[in-house]
Amino acid sequence: MKKFVIIGNSAAGISAAEEIRRRDKDAAITMISSEDYTAYCRCLISYYLAKDIKEEKIVLRPQSFYKDNNIELILDKEVTRVDPKKNRIICADKKQVEYDALLIASGASPKFPDIKGVKRKGVFGFRTIKDIREIESLLTVAKAACVLGGGLVGLKAAYALKKRGLEVKVIIKSQHVLSQVLDAAAAGLVEQQLTGNAIELIKGHDAIEIIGEGDVRAVKLDSGKALESGLIIVAKGVAANMNLVRESGIALNQGILVNDMLATNIPNIYAAGDVTESLDITLNKPNVNALWPVAVEQGRIAGANIAQAGLKYDGSLGMNSIEFFGLPVVSLGVYKTDANDPSYEVLQKSDPGQKVYKKFVIKDNVLIGAILAGKIHNSGIFLRLMREKINILSVKERFFADDFGYPEIRDIVREEEKIYL
Amino acid sequence: MKQLYYDIKKCLGCKSCEIACALAHSLTQSILTAIKEEKLSLPRKKILYSKGKNYPVSCRHCKDPKCVDACMAHALVYNKEKGIVEHDESRCVGCWMCVMVCPYGAIRPNIKTKIPLRCDKCKDKDEPACVRACPTGAIIWQEEVVVDNKK
Ligand SMILES: Cc1cc2nc3c(=O)[nH]c(=O)nc-3n(C[C@H](O)[C@H](O)[C@H](O)COP(=O)(O)OP(=O)(O)OC[C@H]3O[C@@H](n4cnc5c(N)ncnc54)[C@H](O)[C@@H]3O)c2cc1C
Ligand code: SF4
Ligand code: SF4
Repeated sequence: MKKFVIIGNSAAGISAAEEIRRRDKDAAITMISSEDYTAYCRCLISYYLAKDIKEEKIVLRPQSFYKDNNIELILDKEVTRVDPKKNRIICADKKQVEYDALLIASGASPKFPDIKGVKRKGVFGFRTIKDIREIESLLTVAKAACVLGGGLVGLKAAYALKKRGLEVKVIIKSQHVLSQVLDAAAAGLVEQQLTGNAIELIKGHDAIEIIGEGDVRAVKLDSGKALESGLIIVAKGVAANMNLVRESGIALNQGILVNDMLATNIPNIYAAGDVTESLDITLNKPNVNALWPVAVEQGRIAGANIAQAGLKYDGSLGMNSIEFFGLPVVSLGVYKTDANDPSYEVLQKSDPGQKVYKKFVIKDNVLIGAILAGKIHNSGIFLRLMREKINILSVKERFFADDFGYPEIRDIVREEEKIYL
Repeated sequence: MKQLYYDIKKCLGCKSCEIACALAHSLTQSILTAIKEEKLSLPRKKILYSKGKNYPVSCRHCKDPKCVDACMAHALVYNKEKGIVEHDESRCVGCWMCVMVCPYGAIRPNIKTKIPLRCDKCKDKDEPACVRACPTGAIIWQEEVVVDNKK
């Protein structure tokens, strides 16, 4: 009987465990997580804090899942070291677990800036149920909150805190929100939604100190100004949780490097999810795409390969769906172009009155990026054209049409059509 | 397991299926009252046009459903026994991740209800409402055609 170990009990770990079990009924599967909570929908913690959903709705898999699938689940245990030479992992409490194959799905953690006061009580990352519990306990005393960072996680945190009655300011180093995934035009539409709902945005500034005595009192900006705040959320991106493999000989960059089977340089060790750096289809180079759908897909393929399926992974790409106060926005692939490179072509159209904006980035007749704001119903079609690297010369004229859809791409995409006779 | 197939030579693009779909998913099930419902029932099927032909487009209940992978709320789940992708509306948060990834554009946002619109094969009914509504018989409800994958 084979013994498989999965470090991580979230998107990537769960989908890997399911896939291994689907293909191999007998193998022993052990999942280890440093959190003390059953698998949950990490992306929903802001909805939970906002009280948009009840706690039971964030449970991704209940305890019965592990029993039904004969999976040993070890919670609240941190793995500190992977020892490939002896095919074992070592935990903080010295517990050792041996494996025939190992999946590292340890995800990522918030990056904290190196500024004075960042360790004070009342400063939080926004990543775990534990964070939410602690934030919750401060809500009765804190009247104002500052969010450092204008990315998706920061804005979701801002929304939740606003919904819970706090005064919320978001401090954004860039000139506009969501600068990693949206251009200024699309970001402007999102900003209207936020400011229209009394979330204050402070752009072009950064925090340089967190002031307080024990607890936090205020945030000091690079402009010299201090903003009163009893609660601070740090949302300045995430870093892969790789400390456990630093000395293992596993090849690392921004994430654990994997090949097109999602194996690391050590053949019986795989990686999936936010901890992984894999080929980005639109950038055409390795990249960490720390996204839920990417983690699920990678987990499934890594799990299949641990069960000897030999599946290939095509690669990932950036994809974000953003929704604030009724305005949907989708960002796919890349939106930044090199103005000096004539192989790029950009198509865009906007109708600010209707809060609609669309932009397409094309390189050598292949779609490599898209932003859709206001109207997103056919975004999956564009994602598909990108994933499959389709030559879009014959259809790009139709990209802005509301009734553009699958029938118009069915001849050019990879599909063995079954339903249209 | 039954699936929806379309004889596109017969499709006139009359949208009878769209209307029947919206009606079947309305609260009151009658056209006179359905159009007055507060949350207007919208069709989960759309007729799209390409190169002289009409194509009814709706969810295919894929076996490797991208929408299920992307659903960060675990609201969309593939039910293997029934061969359908099921949607638990009580878990859905209206994040539109599913819309972003569907390779057929077959799941659409309903901004008002914050719940996506997608064919549910009329769940427990014997056949989907669109099948009978089609005046030319272009929509076929039959056992799945097994295609051998000799890729
Ligand atoms: C508030 C918020 C909103 C988000 N919104 C979106 C969104 O809209 N769209 C989107 O695509 N993505 C979103 N994300 C990102 C998404 O949640 C992640 O991409 C996804 O959770 C990655 O899954 P994972 O399994 O790779 O890792 P994680 O979810 O990070 O899980 C890592 C697991 O590994 C365990 N672990 C880590 N280190 C150790 C160790 N040393 N020993 C033992 N166990 C360990 C952890 O306990 C955990 O179980 C959001 C994230 C947050 C926080
Ligand atoms: S919504 Fe799209 S991806 Fe999901 S099952 Fe239907 S057709 Fe497939
Ligand atoms: S909109 Fe609902 S069904 Fe679609 S991905 Fe989000 S939670 Fe899942």
